[in-house]
Amino acid sequence: MPTFVDSSFTNSPIQSDNLPTLMDLSFESLSPRYRKVRAWLNFSITLIILIIGMVLYYQNFYVIAQHKREIILLVTIFLVSLSFLYSFYHLLADQHKFFALREQDISYASGLIFKSIVTQPMLRIQHVELKQGPIERKVNLAKLQVFSAGGALHTFEIPGLSLNKAQAIRQFILDHKDVNKHG
Amino acid sequence: MDNSSTTFAAKTLTDKNTPQASWQRISPIALLYFLIKLLKELVGNFVYLLPALYIGYNHLIENPSFWLPITLAVIAVILLIVFLKFYFFKFRLHNNTIEIRSGVLAKKHINLPFSRIQNVKLEQPIYYRPFHYVCMALDTAGSHKQEAKVVALNIDFAEQLKKAILQTHQTAATNKDQQDIAEEKTVTTSNNTEKILNQRSLLDLVIHGMSNNRVWIFLGGLAPFFDNIANYIIHWLDNLGVNTEQLFSLTDKPWWQVSLYALTLTLMILLPITLFSILGAILSFYNFTLTKVNDRYIRRSGLLTKHEVTMKLSRLQMIIRQQDWLDKLLKRINLRFEQNQSLENKLDANAYNNKIIVPSITESQCQALIDDAYPDNQLKHITFTGISKRYLLRHIGYILLPIYLGLSYFFYLNDKSIMILLLTPIFTLLSLVIFLRWRRWGFAIDNNYLYVQSGAIGLDQRIFPLYKIQQTRFKQSIFLRKHQLCHIRLILASGNVTIPYMKQAEGYNIIDNCLYIVEKSRRSWM
Repeated sequence: MPTFVDSSFTNSPIQSDNLPTLMDLSFESLSPRYRKVRAWLNFSITLIILIIGMVLYYQNFYVIAQHKREIILLVTIFLVSLSFLYSFYHLLADQHKFFALREQDISYASGLIFKSIVTQPMLRIQHVELKQGPIERKVNLAKLQVFSAGGALHTFEIPGLSLNKAQAIRQFILDHKDVNKHG
Repeated sequence: MDNSSTTFAAKTLTDKNTPQASWQRISPIALLYFLIKLLKELVGNFVYLLPALYIGYNHLIENPSFWLPITLAVIAVILLIVFLKFYFFKFRLHNNTIEIRSGVLAKKHINLPFSRIQNVKLEQPIYYRPFHYVCMALDTAGSHKQEAKVVALNIDFAEQLKKAILQTHQTAATNKDQQDIAEEKTVTTSNNTEKILNQRSLLDLVIHGMSNNRVWIFLGGLAPFFDNIANYIIHWLDNLGVNTEQLFSLTDKPWWQVSLYALTLTLMILLPITLFSILGAILSFYNFTLTKVNDRYIRRSGLLTKHEVTMKLSRLQMIIRQQDWLDKLLKRINLRFEQNQSLENKLDANAYNNKIIVPSITESQCQALIDDAYPDNQLKHITFTGISKRYLLRHIGYILLPIYLGLSYFFYLNDKSIMILLLTPIFTLLSLVIFLRWRRWGFAIDNNYLYVQSGAIGLDQRIFPLYKIQQTRFKQSIFLRKHQLCHIRLILASGNVTIPYMKQAEGYNIIDNCLYIVEKSRRSWM
């Protein structure tokens, strides 16, 4: 690789053919459990909303005026279809989440219709967090969060990693000499 | 003890900066500071009670035996709080660390090593001026809560302390980065020579006030009273013998006369607004000077409260060159030096005073300032690449046109075709703005900087060194993919820059280049 000229001004054209490019990234999939668990969870929530709505609609313990029952029915249908669409969308979209680790940076690609690739150079990482919710803990998954000075809105995040892999990536980031120096 | 800080200046700083240094109370002048701050908070929190006070005023006056003791008690409590705040505010310097203890009920203890202080700001409220005192605000890179303020220091002592803090920081930084010691030497020797980069005259500020309406700040404060104000004005006009309803009715007057009235009224409203805006500009930018000491920029300004903001060149993330349509007409530019900002800082109302904005400068002054910060920039000569025509198709074709057609059809069905006459110019105007925005959008990249321009009639240009980038985002919907287009977003510590509807190959190329430069150069972003 060519050596970088520190701060003195040069203006030679950049040899774009030689640059490592995002287009050649070899992406890895998330843990297959992530998609499965999410699908189960989402469809269960849909079912629970449906059950609550039905119970409210058909119950006899407490008398509800007819027009209010109709509203309950409408709201239930609305929420259930919304939740179902959400679940169905994620069933498809969760297949399209990938990450890629390079020597100097880490990337995360996602999106079914709106695709995005976020790339975080190791050099700019301030700290790393592993997060596990109660369900994630049960199925041994973890979410990796990487913070830079770009602010809280631009936290780099990879969900659905198996705990081992998440820990390995975290260690890889921490072992990166630039992170040690600047972090 | 009370008068301790007046004796400070006489003693040297090193005296105070020993391991055994004891806690110091600040000068009693701080009582005034605490009082005014408390009153401000009270007014800020109870502004909605003011109308009640106004209505109940007669009641207050008529029953002094009941209300006078209460009023006196409230005043006594306020004075007590102020005194306690002053009493519990102590600080000490030792081992190049400043410690501040404050708080009456909720105690706060801040411990700040000089080396962790990023910014030293001196503020001089108007009531401190006769006594030669200043407030010293210490910024850290960390969270907002860690910010510390010593509320009353003798000005000489503050300057001395500031110098000491900045110097410690300098040595710490150079030691850490293993830079050559020669540079450090020049820093210490030439520390006192300030080079003036820019000064603003009163005329410049008047221009700034006219072209950059900051009147919404005032309007925001008045919002709860809009109804009353409107009623009051109409009532007032009535008393003058002007009937507003009759004035604007088209039945008995030709249209040009009514429009003339409307124009006069608009001007009558615009005039005080502009005056307020000019006043605002003078308040915040009076006596504006931007100076440079070595690698530090110092901004001083303010009519009532004098602000002094210091920024190290290495903290500069991005330069924004802004021209609104009025600026364009007057050939003036607002130049902003952006440093890193956390989200909480952005929401803070005081954040405005922390920025370095050079208001309403001319083209040549602007170029000189940009060249001073980024000597190798090519902003003036570089050619910008435009964005795809799909931007027009998306915004006009897919959003505006369907709304326009839909509404027109709706009005047509409801026999209100006359509304279409109103709708058409609005549609045309919006389309024109989108067209102008499309024409303005552009980007350019060289080995060191990325340049992005945007705006409709005005012109915004952003320049930042590529190595300052924190994170990159490449975005593409499946529709854009079909046309080999993409959006890219580059995230910096001072905010982010987006370039929409650019060619996919160029998008990848810019991101690849940016990442390469960040990762290869290994330069620190701050």
